[in-house]
Amino acid sequence: MQYEENIRVALRALIDHKFRSFLTMLGIIFGVASVITMLSIGEGAKREAIAKYQDLGVNNIIIREKKLSDQELEEVRAKFSPGLSLQDASVIKEIVPGVIYTSSQSELSTDVKYTDKSAKSTVIGITPEFVNIMNYKTGQGEFIGEKHYDAALRVCVLGAGVARTLFGSENSIGKMVKIGDQWFEVSGVLQSKTLFTETVGELAARDLNNDIYIPLSTFLNRFTHENMLASQIQQITVQVASSERLVEASTLINGILQRHHFNNEDYNIVIPFELLRQEEKERQIYNFLLGAIAAISLVVGGIGIMNIMLATVMERTREIGIRRAIGARKSDIMSQFVTEAVAISITGGIIGVILGVTLSLSVSLFTDIKTVIPLYSVLVAFGFSVIVGISFGYLPAKNAANLKPIESIRYE
Amino acid sequence: MLIEIKDLYKNYVMGELEVPALMDINVQIAKNEYVAIMGPSGSGKSTLMNILGCLDTPTAGQYMFNGVDVSQLDDDALSAMRNREIGFIFQNFNLLPKLTALQNVELPLVYAGANKHERHEKAIQALQKVGLADRMSHKPTELSGGQRQRVAIARALVSKPGILLADEPTGALDSKTGVEIMALFDELQREGNTIIVITHEQEIADYAHRTIFIKDGRIHSDTPNKKRNF
Repeated sequence: MQYEENIRVALRALIDHKFRSFLTMLGIIFGVASVITMLSIGEGAKREAIAKYQDLGVNNIIIREKKLSDQELEEVRAKFSPGLSLQDASVIKEIVPGVIYTSSQSELSTDVKYTDKSAKSTVIGITPEFVNIMNYKTGQGEFIGEKHYDAALRVCVLGAGVARTLFGSENSIGKMVKIGDQWFEVSGVLQSKTLFTETVGELAARDLNNDIYIPLSTFLNRFTHENMLASQIQQITVQVASSERLVEASTLINGILQRHHFNNEDYNIVIPFELLRQEEKERQIYNFLLGAIAAISLVVGGIGIMNIMLATVMERTREIGIRRAIGARKSDIMSQFVTEAVAISITGGIIGVILGVTLSLSVSLFTDIKTVIPLYSVLVAFGFSVIVGISFGYLPAKNAANLKPIESIRYE
Repeated sequence: MLIEIKDLYKNYVMGELEVPALMDINVQIAKNEYVAIMGPSGSGKSTLMNILGCLDTPTAGQYMFNGVDVSQLDDDALSAMRNREIGFIFQNFNLLPKLTALQNVELPLVYAGANKHERHEKAIQALQKVGLADRMSHKPTELSGGQRQRVAIARALVSKPGILLADEPTGALDSKTGVEIMALFDELQREGNTIIVITHEQEIADYAHRTIFIKDGRIHSDTPNKKRNF
């Protein structure tokens, strides 16, 4: 029997029993829709995590001063720990194999002013290597470079947020801003960065767009921390050649710092890539669970199809008998009913895909959860619905094919 | 000979018991013959029709159709035989209710693998033959009993089969329509078709040229029809 004829018969059967077909499809519809929605939520979370960690640098090790109370700080200093220093950074670069760059930074919260406008900001003193480690890009002007650092110039690069607060749409390059009680010339403005909405390890969530970058040399010359006991620098960012060396390098760094800080734990080591991997692992378990739930709903959908197909075969015994009498082979009957089951499951699959896509878009639109629909999820969900149709349509179709023509043609 | 049946037996298994339905059947039917198979209900005439129509296979004996030993064929080959050589006409028409007259008539050709165009042409011709060219796009429910039976006859004719096998073809029709259908059979026979009618009505059997009477699973008599022998 021709394939085209099979499809025609199957579609007609589907249309003749619209409501029944729809009910039968529901299982598949929900199954497919849930697969797509769940995978899109998972994918969204994954993309977000990757973006977040990419900001921190996948090959980076971040060493940060631990937040200590004044009393703790006194204790630590009494035990001879000088806190994080430029010396730490240079030792790390010298000793630890695989390290390409180290960048030190010192931070201070202060007010910035331009004419009558002011903003609360974090001033960060950085070394020129910073730009090699972080993928920060200036929207206008230039970033802090060797020439600014070596001459300890009073130049600054504004985060997009600060720039907007102080200058609005006005061009800020070359203008003078007052940071704390010091005047700085704006040399560049950063492109807007995504908000840091989650705390990563010891790195607190904050808005990077409110940061102002100045050369570390200038920072150390002109600013002093309120607390006299504060460390020289707040963070050292180390970039290694490849992510395989991260763990090895961080162990070594920890050893060095322990020695230099006289075993005082006044710093934290964060490896963004390791955190990413951990999150990935957790997500895998979550994805597996979601997949299992979706698979169950597809199987239940399949059972629904099988059930209705068994009933359909019974109902159409006579038709089967007639078709057999005029020359249909068993395989013709078989493929007719499998096609019918597949038509139901494919239609369900299509509706499911539409529903799933709609759901994940609405989740994106109406909640804070970001969703990304990966193409493979649509293909997987759709493919599964076809497989479900074939496998659960097989048994009823086989029953139909094995009906005895003489008996079925007399079936009332 | 178109049909040669030799020492044919058919038993049905009912639970543990084997019940004989046909015994010692020997029949020969030539091309273009018009044969009635008669017998009371339960005589085995339906079983014989099923075997003749390749819907069932004998327990023992031989059924040769056009030189082919049908009793040796597998299910697919039997389907092909039914498709090409047998034109069934049933008492209750057995049309597919969702299909139009034309689609019903096309159906055997679908299973024969004919293309759309060929199917169309042949089905229209067959419907013209039975005088229903103007009812092609009607569904069976929109047709009268006589018209439905004509559609069924067109369906039986469409693949130009070796025999037309009619099972009580007028059983569901009023007598006037019945007469019309039997007249159509006469015409088809004159055009060269071989017709076998299964009936328990003498009036219908009288249209045929030969009557095989079956009783208790055996051939009771096999006689030429005097009224129609010319």
